[in-house]
Amino acid sequence: MIRKLKLCEVQGTDPYRNLAIEQVLLESQEAGCCTLYLWQNQNTVVIGSNQNAWKECRTELLSQEGGRLARRLSGGGAVFHDLGNLNFTFLVPSEDYDLPRQLAVICGACRALGIPAEVSGRNDLLADGKKFSGNAFYHSGGKSYHHGTLLVNVDMEKLGRYLRPSEAKLRAKGVASVRSRVCNLRELCPDLTIGRLKQALAQSFSAVYGLPVERIAEDALDTAEIDRLQTRNASWEWNYGRKLPFDFSCEARFDWGEMRIELQVENGKVAHAAVYTDAMDHTAAPLLEQALTDSRFSLADLQARVQASGFAQAADVCELLKQQDL
Amino acid sequence: MATPNELKYTSTHEWAKIEGNTATIGISDHAQQALGDLVFINLPQEGDEAVAGEAFGDLESVKAVSDLISPVSGTICAVNEALLDAPEMLNEDPYGAWIIKVEMSGETEELLDAAAYDALCEQEG
Repeated sequence: MIRKLKLCEVQGTDPYRNLAIEQVLLESQEAGCCTLYLWQNQNTVVIGSNQNAWKECRTELLSQEGGRLARRLSGGGAVFHDLGNLNFTFLVPSEDYDLPRQLAVICGACRALGIPAEVSGRNDLLADGKKFSGNAFYHSGGKSYHHGTLLVNVDMEKLGRYLRPSEAKLRAKGVASVRSRVCNLRELCPDLTIGRLKQALAQSFSAVYGLPVERIAEDALDTAEIDRLQTRNASWEWNYGRKLPFDFSCEARFDWGEMRIELQVENGKVAHAAVYTDAMDHTAAPLLEQALTDSRFSLADLQARVQASGFAQAADVCELLKQQDL
Repeated sequence: MATPNELKYTSTHEWAKIEGNTATIGISDHAQQALGDLVFINLPQEGDEAVAGEAFGDLESVKAVSDLISPVSGTICAVNEALLDAPEMLNEDPYGAWIIKVEMSGETEELLDAAAYDALCEQEG
């Protein structure tokens, strides 16, 4: 039974640190306590635990524009965060996990602001029939969290640009995102701010559980552990190098002939490269296959390998890779 | 679905079929129903150590990731890799679709028989 409520609000907007704080809050969760964590990430695409980064997100475009890609522990699909979005996390011992009650906190806060929010299906939150919150869940070591986004005034143009529908050229095993029509709460409540929403959430949290809320500060947590998890969360291996094998292919016709490149990628690296071409230069395929094998699957790394391969038409191959919009 | 009598169960809803020194491990019908449609599984590798009461992999279903807890300790001697392409087999045939086999050594968790496990599920609702 929940006997104690805690509220943790952080000011930082680094997704890697904020996700680290979330995990430390989970690991340190005490019996009989429910913690509500409120956090924001600047210009970030967050993918689900078992998703393929390249399939869900235009990673090169995102990083060119200063955005970040992060992987969370929970399941589900890719979401876009900026400072127009507020994230909430309910952290509880698994025996006290109560999704309807947690969703009632969110609905209660929205209604107090005049937004006609309701729970739809298993775990969707709708207002006027449109989705304004995506939710996901994680259960480990007898502790659970339920977290979600709350779209207040998110840049929908960026959201649509970074989160891409899957393209056939990438055959991957991971979990695919389901696209939903989403709306910003500000469309329904024009003077809504993140600050007002946070305040309404804190009040609703206390009202639904019938308990006072104790605030906890970030510096009361295990900062060494947060630092360690932040480093992991920011690493290429964590976000891209997971054991999710996939196949990538691309092809083009050049004035020197046609070329098709097929890559089998494992742990984010090219495990096997096959190049097919009718070019007169018979060294093309073996040179490129050798150069691409073991490369990290990122545009910069693949292009560097091609440049160094010794193939005379390397510039054309680099351009072909660039056009794939990885 | 009747809870098979020949299996042993954990309070975290895994089953174990113990034959000699080998335990075959899966998830119960109650577990697959509570989780909903499974979309992904992370499996250990043959040769990895399993520790009773600790996670040996995880499952993803309707946006939720949940640990798989080992009922026994020992060395993982077989992994059902067909689940990587078809995790839904755990929904369709929970007592037929095994996940791992463990060559046991040392302690096992305290395991429940079918009647005790049914009582636990009843209690959890």
